[in-house]
Amino acid sequence: MTSKKQDELKYVGKSVSRIDEMDKVSGAARYADDLEFGPNLLFAEIVESTQAHALIKSIDTSAAEKEEGVVRVFTGKDFPGLRFGLYMQDRYVFAQNRVRFVGEQVAAVVARCPKAAKRAAALVKVEYEPLPAVLNQMNALNSDCNLVHEKLGEYSHVPWFFPKAGTNIAHWRKVRKGDISNAFQEADFILEDTYNVPRYAHCAIEPHVATALFDHAGRITVWASSQSPYTQRHLFAECLAPLGITHKDVRVIAPYVGGGFGGKAGVTMEILAVVLATKLKGMPVKVRWSREQEFYNTYQRLGVVAKVKMGVKSDGTIVALDHKIHWDAGAYVEYGANVVNAAGLSASGPYNIPHISIDSMCIYTNLPPGGAYRGFGYSECLFGIESHIDRIARHLKIDPVEMRRKNAIRTGDILPYGSHMNPSGLVECIDKVAAEIEWGKKEMSKDPTKFIGKGFALFWKAPAMPPNASSSAFLKFNEDASMNILVSAMEIGQGFLTAMAQIAAEVLQVPPHKIRVETPDTDRNPYEWQTVASHITWGTGNAVRRAALDAKQQILEQVARVHHYLADDMYLDNEMVKCKQEPAFALPLKNFVITGLAMEDGTYRGGPIIGRGTFMPEFSSALSDPETSQGGHPNVHYTVGAAALTLEVDKETGKMRVLKAVEALDAGKVINPDMAKGQLVGGLLQGLATVLYEDMRYNESGKLLNPNFTDYKIPTCKDVPLEIVPILVEVPQPDGPFGARGIGEHTMLPAAPMIANAVHDAVGVRIVSMPVTAEKVALAILQSEANHTARGAHS
Amino acid sequence: MPIAHEYEYLKPTSVAEAVDILSRFENNVRCLAGGTDLIVHLKENVVRPAAVVDIKAIPELSGIKMQGNELRIGALVTFSEIIHSAEIKKHFPVLVEAAETVASVGVRNRATLVGNICSAVPSLDAAPVLLIYDAQVVVRGKNGERSISIHDWFTGPKKTSKAADELVTHVIVNKPLEKHAAAYVKLGRYRGEDLAQAGVAVMLTDNKNYRIATCALGPIAKRAPKVEAALNSHTPSKKTFEDAAKFILSEISPITDIRASKEYREHMAVVMTRRALEAAMARLLGKTVDVASILGG
Repeated sequence: MTSKKQDELKYVGKSVSRIDEMDKVSGAARYADDLEFGPNLLFAEIVESTQAHALIKSIDTSAAEKEEGVVRVFTGKDFPGLRFGLYMQDRYVFAQNRVRFVGEQVAAVVARCPKAAKRAAALVKVEYEPLPAVLNQMNALNSDCNLVHEKLGEYSHVPWFFPKAGTNIAHWRKVRKGDISNAFQEADFILEDTYNVPRYAHCAIEPHVATALFDHAGRITVWASSQSPYTQRHLFAECLAPLGITHKDVRVIAPYVGGGFGGKAGVTMEILAVVLATKLKGMPVKVRWSREQEFYNTYQRLGVVAKVKMGVKSDGTIVALDHKIHWDAGAYVEYGANVVNAAGLSASGPYNIPHISIDSMCIYTNLPPGGAYRGFGYSECLFGIESHIDRIARHLKIDPVEMRRKNAIRTGDILPYGSHMNPSGLVECIDKVAAEIEWGKKEMSKDPTKFIGKGFALFWKAPAMPPNASSSAFLKFNEDASMNILVSAMEIGQGFLTAMAQIAAEVLQVPPHKIRVETPDTDRNPYEWQTVASHITWGTGNAVRRAALDAKQQILEQVARVHHYLADDMYLDNEMVKCKQEPAFALPLKNFVITGLAMEDGTYRGGPIIGRGTFMPEFSSALSDPETSQGGHPNVHYTVGAAALTLEVDKETGKMRVLKAVEALDAGKVINPDMAKGQLVGGLLQGLATVLYEDMRYNESGKLLNPNFTDYKIPTCKDVPLEIVPILVEVPQPDGPFGARGIGEHTMLPAAPMIANAVHDAVGVRIVSMPVTAEKVALAILQSEANHTARGAHS
Repeated sequence: MPIAHEYEYLKPTSVAEAVDILSRFENNVRCLAGGTDLIVHLKENVVRPAAVVDIKAIPELSGIKMQGNELRIGALVTFSEIIHSAEIKKHFPVLVEAAETVASVGVRNRATLVGNICSAVPSLDAAPVLLIYDAQVVVRGKNGERSISIHDWFTGPKKTSKAADELVTHVIVNKPLEKHAAAYVKLGRYRGEDLAQAGVAVMLTDNKNYRIATCALGPIAKRAPKVEAALNSHTPSKKTFEDAAKFILSEISPITDIRASKEYREHMAVVMTRRALEAAMARLLGKTVDVASILGG
């Protein structure tokens, strides 16, 4: 008998090559902008606000309407009161009588060709009456500050948001654990400081594209570059409900996506194609963002001013944390407010701290809307926390890694909001990283102007999802026992399709390359919440596993009916059904998964095998005490990790080079090691870019100064660290498919503080505002030398 | 992004024809060679010329020629052609060094050196090297040909001394007769392609002559005669370089912009001048220096 051992995995945990590799390398993969729509296709050009905050006095479209090729010109008046939003409905499809950020959509020209649309859009005259704009979240908190949304109190929102009507505070997440009022008295040392993190852009290589068709039968189809086809369908249906459109009338088709990073989650510009199409029956309307629009009118990562106060015992035990996080959430916070919420719940960092006070405030400003961005608020908070730990450890003359190990959260510890920490390999990650980076071993450069330092950081993140975020899967066999899996999570480069094929392959013992998994059409593929939160390997993976188990059960029952073996005695192996009691029995799946099994009388039993699986984390709840956040179970689990790097700093120029970077994270179970390592390297690079050079810069009128790659820098192959060591730890997640949990976002989380910590280790200056550019480091060194000289002169 | 602006597209086959078109449209015309600036500007409606003159069909404008000590670089010569020219690599390696810092491979395959100097942006990488070689820009207009010294070429940010009806046909660079070495050091925000936050080119000769030029440190790229004076006839040494480099501050007038602050530019101008001199000195002694790593990072 050649049956394999029960616990030995054949496809999961193996570096199977991507099932979409030929699509990608041959150019067969089609993206939203590649699709053809025939001669009726219309193109929309958006007229944008030039003001950060203003009343619209008048819009004159007459000249634009006369331009050759123009079909129609639309303004906010054509879509009165139309709002949308994922967690809070505060975003206007077209500005009504007021604009709230530079770049906001004010009008649209729809024409037969893109050139005509662009020409005509330049002819639309908008007259504004400027209002005072608030461009900084701290100013927005002043009692005399203009309100960005006067009707905040009227907006509908999810029950776990707490907007403060009459202020610019769209949501205030408060977390209280232990007794913060007395805790700092127990501390031997208290460090307080403020950390600044600017806004960031996703910079997916493919810009947003959406084409919508409202056909003569009254149904609307949208082709979009999307991370969230089902959530988009739902938001479109909600927004279009006044037109009598229901969910079954809305169909979203999402082809391959050229990068997401959170920017294509929820709904942003896609709504424009949709509403314009409703006015132009029978003609598809396409909206394609330019690179500039990609920067200023999708989502941006929120800016942060974080005040961290941490109290510790002299042995390094953290006793208290008071963390006040002020988020610059922009003009509309329909998605961004949940970043504030999620990060606020976890703003302790991966530490077991008895007394915690966290205030995470979502603040309206007249800057572009903030929203989902890989890391969902955790990078921003970890910059302060992990810098702080380093500074405290050095002050106490304790090894920073030892201090982290001492306070690291462990399985079963009480989380800031009262529930328990899931199984965690955090300490194993710390130890492996410390060993690999040779922590404690000082390295010296041969060049007298260069200094080498090491920086360490821990990280964690939980998926930020509504408690009922669900995934589902259909699995259907073909005649040759190959199969198609239908899911609606998105392949956005991370290798999702392959991971799902591996999970089903393992359950059904069919090779992954006999499994086709494709991007979805909401008419055909079953429900998925969104491809965000690093949850789909876990959530959709569970649904696929259940669909495969469902199919397996059908297979065994079908065979049992005909061959009369007990279903429990049979197993799947090498695309065949086998029986433990009857070694000679080996029935190929292809003999019956479509055709059924033939009986002696010429009739058949069974029929096509179609598996279905769904998954919802039924233990999750977002309800808790608004004053403390105690009482709920808002997060399904955390993925944890540790990272370190060796940094060479030129003391005169401030220029930095990462000589070696090491990152370990606890994936629970790695589905595909090569893809996981690839994602780790990519995410780490993205994180290093946010700390070393990326930075969105606005002028005093709220206009973005660098909506381009000339002055917004993302890494090239020349900027990759000389060495990157990925380490994958596996402490299984009990409710994950084969023990897996997500790792996608986490890979970039430790980058910023470990650079800041390494800079300090190398040259002795502490940078508390991102990005930590060469310029900032050089000027800080000069300043510190000047201070030193001045002190010397006085003494 | 479409080009919504409408213009006349003309493709002359001779310099005379091109000059004729330029004078016909006066200031309302643009030349197209590599197009790496022009096409982007047309898409963004930054320029709206009545006509675009595509000069790529004029044979006389192409090619790199070395005759004696004189190098001729035609108006159509791209940065990639410069990088791959064995003669330039042999006689003017610092020109290759500067060309390699321009944008990315894809852009360098189209962008021309002459287009770069015609753009006359303060950050142009081609300028400091042409300045230390005392290059000549040769233009032809209605009134015939004239040669403009590179020192007189830049008249302000994005402004040159070329008349509207003149076409640059080529640039002449002469190889110094004495033994010499040079370096171009560029400050960028990362290792990938970037516009210069600051650029410094230096040359020193066996008989203690020094030439220093900068870009992105003032409204135009220019030589730094005070630094040169502090160095000339002095024996190269770390101390000499350190003392002289400080004079760069009286030669530059950097601003604070999105790429760098005035303060950092001033600090770096001194560091870069010193390190560029040290690099050139090392080269003069026959050592190999990787300028891409000279500032760290």
